[in-house]
Amino acid sequence: METSSSYLSFVIEHLQQFFSYTAFANITIGHVIMIAIGLFFIFLAITKEYEPLLLVPIGFGILIGNIPFKPGFQIGVYETGSVFNYLYFGVLQGVYPPLIFLGIGAMTDFSALISNPKLLLIGAAAQLGIFGAYAIALMLGFSPTEAGAIGIIGGADGPTAIFLSSKLAPDLLGAIAISAYSYMALVPVIQPPIMRLLTTDKERVIRMKPPRAVSKNEKIMFPIIGLLLTTFIVPSALSLLGMLFFGNLLKESTVTKRLADTAKGPLIDIVTILIGLTVGASTQATTFLTYKSVGIFVLGAFSFVIATFGGVMFVKIINLFLKEGNKMNPLIGNAGVSAVPDSARVSQFVGLEYDKTNHLLMHAMGPNVAGVIGSAVAAGILLGFLS
Amino acid sequence: MRSIRILFSLSFLAAFCLIAMPRAAAQSGNDIRINEILVINDSNYIDDFGQRNAWIELFNTAYNKVDVGGMYLTNDPNNPTKYRIPKGDPITSIPARNYLIFFADNHTTRGILHLNFDLKDSDYLALYDMNGRTLIDEVRFPKLEVDKSYGRVTDGGSEWEVLHKTTPKSNNFTGEPRNPGLEFKEFDPFGIGMALIAMTVVFLALILLYLVFKNTRSFYGIKFSDLFKQKAVSGVKVEAQPDLTGEVNAAIALSLYLFRNELHDNEATVLTIKKVARTYSPWSSKIYGLRNFHK
Repeated sequence: METSSSYLSFVIEHLQQFFSYTAFANITIGHVIMIAIGLFFIFLAITKEYEPLLLVPIGFGILIGNIPFKPGFQIGVYETGSVFNYLYFGVLQGVYPPLIFLGIGAMTDFSALISNPKLLLIGAAAQLGIFGAYAIALMLGFSPTEAGAIGIIGGADGPTAIFLSSKLAPDLLGAIAISAYSYMALVPVIQPPIMRLLTTDKERVIRMKPPRAVSKNEKIMFPIIGLLLTTFIVPSALSLLGMLFFGNLLKESTVTKRLADTAKGPLIDIVTILIGLTVGASTQATTFLTYKSVGIFVLGAFSFVIATFGGVMFVKIINLFLKEGNKMNPLIGNAGVSAVPDSARVSQFVGLEYDKTNHLLMHAMGPNVAGVIGSAVAAGILLGFLS
Repeated sequence: MRSIRILFSLSFLAAFCLIAMPRAAAQSGNDIRINEILVINDSNYIDDFGQRNAWIELFNTAYNKVDVGGMYLTNDPNNPTKYRIPKGDPITSIPARNYLIFFADNHTTRGILHLNFDLKDSDYLALYDMNGRTLIDEVRFPKLEVDKSYGRVTDGGSEWEVLHKTTPKSNNFTGEPRNPGLEFKEFDPFGIGMALIAMTVVFLALILLYLVFKNTRSFYGIKFSDLFKQKAVSGVKVEAQPDLTGEVNAAIALSLYLFRNELHDNEATVLTIKKVARTYSPWSSKIYGLRNFHK
């Protein structure tokens, strides 16, 4: 009798021990909230098709990162030796973002920019969002390094945001990455009202000259000269700009088609999966759900608004100095943020609302890819000043 | 004229690279610096044997590990190879931005960090590369008081002084380290300065790109291969084609696409027959197949 009761207590004790390992025993309200956010991301990606290539991995990563568990079994992304910790290394050390830039370079056509170099300046103006958000973050009490990492959300460039925050404010990396990608997905929602607010009916129907044909030599020289000029000024952006221009040279040289195809195909897909999943998994409720994260989300929205404002207003100002016939449509100003090609698509759609035959997509791609360069340069400046 | 322009542009690029080159530093044995010296050790740093002796601190200025094994330390300008630091010992690898202490006690039996000379009557110390000829670093030091060290004001820096505090295996600069983030917070609490500086730099970088691509359109249009070809002698003057706009190019591309598209032999489930030309090759010829026996 005594043996059977001790056996029973042994079984119960181990059942209790097993229960203590389960997610049910370790769940908190924070985990529930984060799982709900992850599900919402997946919902947005699948049903609304908002940036599905990013939001599906991130959303699922949030689910993975917020399965409650008892620490000490090398499970979580922050536990040394766990699989997710190994994968997260690429985020923490800034390995993945340059690889993504390599792919972006290999799939980007800079022709629009080369044919009309003025558009480069719009890409610079839209970086106002970064420094506007930086200033507001400082006022809200964030440290300069944190403010720099938060400000880069305004560049609308996920890899750059991850790269910079991993260097300047690793603690905020999850919140910054989620915020950057969320707002990038919401570009079609955030930008059009600001664009309409800042432009007149007359400005919205400005027709721009069709871009001229760009020679192969020009396309080949662009990444080489682009790299030399930008990185000599901001060497701290070398890993991003170096990979971006290298990827573009692979594409434009036309003799390394296989390498370009790999960079813009399997490689960028693999890295996107890894970066999305691990960034999502890094949003463990215990580290993610803080007032700072809320602040980052609010500032992220501000930075997108300021960036759009900067781009559109810059075109309007430039137009004051341009002759009739050479003027630019201010609706391409929003594309100075580097959410490629979403913000250029927004220019196209908003432009078509006012003139069904005025296609702005090609013109908007210029500032759009200039924004990628601009935000990488801005990240390099922040890194150089603040680290 | 065109060739001159090309030459000018290339020489500009080369000059640009040359100007920048001297600033680039390789990460090698050349990055090691003699960083601090203490001659009379009364109540200072103790070695592994519990002894107090003169010590020499080396500093690795590089951002990677550097092995000083095989290099030479000397206190005699006429004998650069006085003490060879043994190779192959992990202790001689100095991690990035880190230190290694040698004891100038003339007791080589105490390990490889103990030199075969002391600094009692010396005012000179030098570090030579593995070939024993290339000087990496040298210093002449004043007569030092007891427990006073002579070192660089900042690690690896160029300025030397008798240090207020001896700092074996740690930063020579003992003040509050510079924190760029806090400096920005102190002098630029609202981020306006940062915004101005950074936007200026972003604009500068992209304006440079703009200027290059605005003015060198003709440069890119050059077909470099044509420059090296012999000019054909012809009496017919051919007028240069004006640049085609993107729209014209698009129209040409579309018509080519449509033309090529019509060449296919299967459209709207109507099967058509199309003769396929096959060029003859003995490798694919059925006449010479292995299954055909000679008759």
